[in-house]
Amino acid sequence: MKDENKEVLIEFDNVRVQFKGKGKKPFVAVKDVSFQIYKGETFGLVGETGSGKTTIGRAIVRINQTASGDILFKGRKINGVIPKELDREVTRKIQMIFQDPMASLNERSKVDYIVSEGLYNIKGFTDEEDRKRKVEKALLEVGLLPEFASRFPHEFSGGQRQRIGIARALIMEPEFVIADEPISSLDVSIRAQILNLLSDLQKTKGLTYLFISHDLSVVRFIADRVAVIHKGQIVELAETEKLFNSPLHPYTRALLSAIPVPDPRIEKKKQILIYDPSCHDYSVDKPKWVEIDKDHFVLGNDAEIGQYREMLKNPLAMNNTYAML
Amino acid sequence: MDEPILSIRDLVVKFNLRGQILTAIRGASLDLYQGETLAIVGESGAGKSVLTKTWNGMLDPNGWVESGSIMFEGQDLAKFTTEAQWLTVRGKKIAMVFQDPMTALNPLKTVGKQIQETLELHQDIKGEAAQERTIEILSQVGISEPEMRYSQYPHEFSGGMRQRVVIAITVACNPKILICDEPTTALDVTIQAQILELIRELQVQLGTTLVYITHDLGVVANVADRVAVMYAGEIIEYGTVEEIFYDPRHPYTWALLSSLPQLGVKGEPLYSIKGTPPNLFNEIKGDAFAPRNPHALKIDFVKQPPFFQVSPTHFAKTWLLDPRAPKVEPPPVVQAMQSRYKEYAI
Amino acid sequence: MTTRKEQQAITAIEDDSLFTFAHYDPEAAERTGYSDYSYWGSTFRIFLKNKTAVFLLILMASLVFFTIIQPYLPNQKDPNKIHIDPETGYQLRNHPPDGEFWFGTNVIGQDLWARIWSGTRTSLLIAIIVGIWEVVFGIFIGAVWGYVRQLDALITEVYNVINNIPNTILLMLLAYIMRPSFKTMIIAMCLTGWLGMARFVRNQIVIIRDREYNLASRCLGTPTHRIIMKNVLPYLVSVIVMRIALSIPGTIGWEVFLTYIGLGLPLETPSLGNLLNEGRRVMMSSSLRYQLLFPALVLSVITVSFYVLGNAFADAADPRNHY
Repeated sequence: MKDENKEVLIEFDNVRVQFKGKGKKPFVAVKDVSFQIYKGETFGLVGETGSGKTTIGRAIVRINQTASGDILFKGRKINGVIPKELDREVTRKIQMIFQDPMASLNERSKVDYIVSEGLYNIKGFTDEEDRKRKVEKALLEVGLLPEFASRFPHEFSGGQRQRIGIARALIMEPEFVIADEPISSLDVSIRAQILNLLSDLQKTKGLTYLFISHDLSVVRFIADRVAVIHKGQIVELAETEKLFNSPLHPYTRALLSAIPVPDPRIEKKKQILIYDPSCHDYSVDKPKWVEIDKDHFVLGNDAEIGQYREMLKNPLAMNNTYAML
Repeated sequence: MDEPILSIRDLVVKFNLRGQILTAIRGASLDLYQGETLAIVGESGAGKSVLTKTWNGMLDPNGWVESGSIMFEGQDLAKFTTEAQWLTVRGKKIAMVFQDPMTALNPLKTVGKQIQETLELHQDIKGEAAQERTIEILSQVGISEPEMRYSQYPHEFSGGMRQRVVIAITVACNPKILICDEPTTALDVTIQAQILELIRELQVQLGTTLVYITHDLGVVANVADRVAVMYAGEIIEYGTVEEIFYDPRHPYTWALLSSLPQLGVKGEPLYSIKGTPPNLFNEIKGDAFAPRNPHALKIDFVKQPPFFQVSPTHFAKTWLLDPRAPKVEPPPVVQAMQSRYKEYAI
Repeated sequence: MTTRKEQQAITAIEDDSLFTFAHYDPEAAERTGYSDYSYWGSTFRIFLKNKTAVFLLILMASLVFFTIIQPYLPNQKDPNKIHIDPETGYQLRNHPPDGEFWFGTNVIGQDLWARIWSGTRTSLLIAIIVGIWEVVFGIFIGAVWGYVRQLDALITEVYNVINNIPNTILLMLLAYIMRPSFKTMIIAMCLTGWLGMARFVRNQIVIIRDREYNLASRCLGTPTHRIIMKNVLPYLVSVIVMRIALSIPGTIGWEVFLTYIGLGLPLETPSLGNLLNEGRRVMMSSSLRYQLLFPALVLSVITVSFYVLGNAFADAADPRNHY
């Protein structure tokens, strides 16, 4: 039931990414993942460490190679071996913001070079004057002063460095930005600044975001749709409020119950659910990726899907503490 | 509940960083009561870890207590100078759980050995009795198959399990006060929830007093009975957890709550505090939060506010509570929390 | 918890106007203090604080300078000239140090002072040339080896093959085949010297190449050579300088060794190696020990100085020691 009006920007079709493992068997980081990201939305991808969420982001920008499956950008395959001009287009149109502002900037280069590094690669300026102007504009857009261009990264705080990283990505005028845990390494009081900035930029520039995070509460605030990923497989995907109000997959429910809520009365009374993978019996009845409700996908075998449909009929009985907030 | 077991008065802690003096704690006062869980919240650099490190002599060698007192069991810990003095307190009476379990454990010794050593050192059991007790403790902290796990090395455990081992080591001595310095920040959220539950259970079983250092207000809501908010080396507000969440009075606490995504409204910008915490190398005149405070009064730049009482358990260091100060409406997020509290009361 | 004194102090504040709102400037809060920390500035500052290192640096600089200007000073003798005692007509053999021959003469009557400086010149020249080659070639191979994953296996095999042949045997073989001379010494040591640097650079690159700022550069489409030049090498400069500093005494050491086993430079080309060798031959006789003493002294000073300088620089260049 694809919404015919919305343009699909990124599509994952049974993508598998694996790495060399210990011994003969490769370690499969992403197992046969399929989803679509529509133009103009913020798509949240939530998972814990080792779930494969970062790998998915990196597979889109071709830092990680896919083992099988297709990644499509505006309908064209961008994984595997692709022609040079498609590679260049992908470099320009798809950019990434990294997690750790202390590690994602080159300490030995001036901010000026860092921000315009991409421009050098795609010859995105006419002359030196033009380049300087573009750098100034990029810095102002993220709330930094143009005089910062002649300084080095170590002179700035974490929040400012992260903004330099955002300027670096945005100067390329991308259409699609992957934000890989952009606020996890920042101090709590700075996170709001960066979230606000990302929201503003999305409105003014019409960007599409893939927001990767382990923090469901942040994702709830910023994302339009959310996918939950566990050990390389996406287990549930739905519109944000739908997911938080009627989570179906036991992993999603466990994850939601575990998030600390800043309200003492609610928090002290809540029960945490523990996810035990052995609760699934996939020996005979294999799991499928099913659209159980409009734009609400869940991974389960036939028996489980039946259960989930029952649950959907009565969402209030789900006893969901998070929905209360 | 009446007499505090630890009492800090006007503590000042300084560090010598390559010739320059940094005042990390600028006059902190706090009372800790038996059996409670106190959460200390603040941004990094506020001084939370430094404050607790003065209680068991874990300050870095280039730091010292300049003035003030820390009364514990009739002794002033601020006056301790020798390792021998600290050894009577550290581990045995006041223990600490750190953020990174990997660096707290010795990678070359089995987990069982590490727990057992602590037991043999601080309590009077040796040999087989100690080993049995160790295995008991391992299962107490929720590690399954404790006999097998006893002889395994730290690298064979996952992050959450390692943190359980660290907790086991600290619990082995049954300390009076357990300080947890961001013990779950490095862990996944599901593991964090389990560790928080474990710590709570152990506290109930053993009657320990818990001091929890964190920047995550959700965790605070989960674990704390009382909360102390720190900023730039001083405690600026403290009270019961409900008072702090549902009726905060200091503008910094307001700002902290307002900037939480959990309490934000989608589509609207979150409130964000401009600027950075002050440089603690310099002397600070007046209220340290004043330059970043949209509700600052002129007097905030002149004189440091004292604690004003809001209730017998709730105090805040802000001139806004002075009777002469103008009435200020707290931000919308805080007002929403206040009305929710009224709902609960009904 | 306010004391009585504090209470009094509060109520004593007469000026009620202080309880009005102050002007709040969010932009002012945004400006950060400018810290004029510069990496190289800090490195040199800390290096200069190390008095021993500075002393040795000046010493080494003077030594090198002296070896260069020594032949042009007045009254210097040719190192290969055999001096004849005008009175007896015999060669001035084994003449102890005196006013005429500051370091004495050797067994066939050559002036040791001239020979030692000529020898130091030669040895240092070999060491510096080999050092420069090590840097240029070693870094290039190391960078390609570390960064280009497809070539990793190939270059590793080549490295292993060359590395597994003991340096000693390789150098001896090369020296023997090519007949010892200034040029062949250099060629031989260049062929083996680059291995250490290449491996070291490669390991550093493998550590750094997956750091986020390098991933970011790849994301932006930066070509490999620019990533190596701008992102990786600047981090390695300090360690590379250290390696050069340590390789110089190392090369001289190899040269001494080869001379010892008879494959060193011929006697007409004095070097620290063959000077030490000659001195070794007469060291049992106490009156002739000066022939060993002076070259040994020069070699020791050079070796110790370069080791100390190299380590001092490495310590100074470590950002953790900066302030």
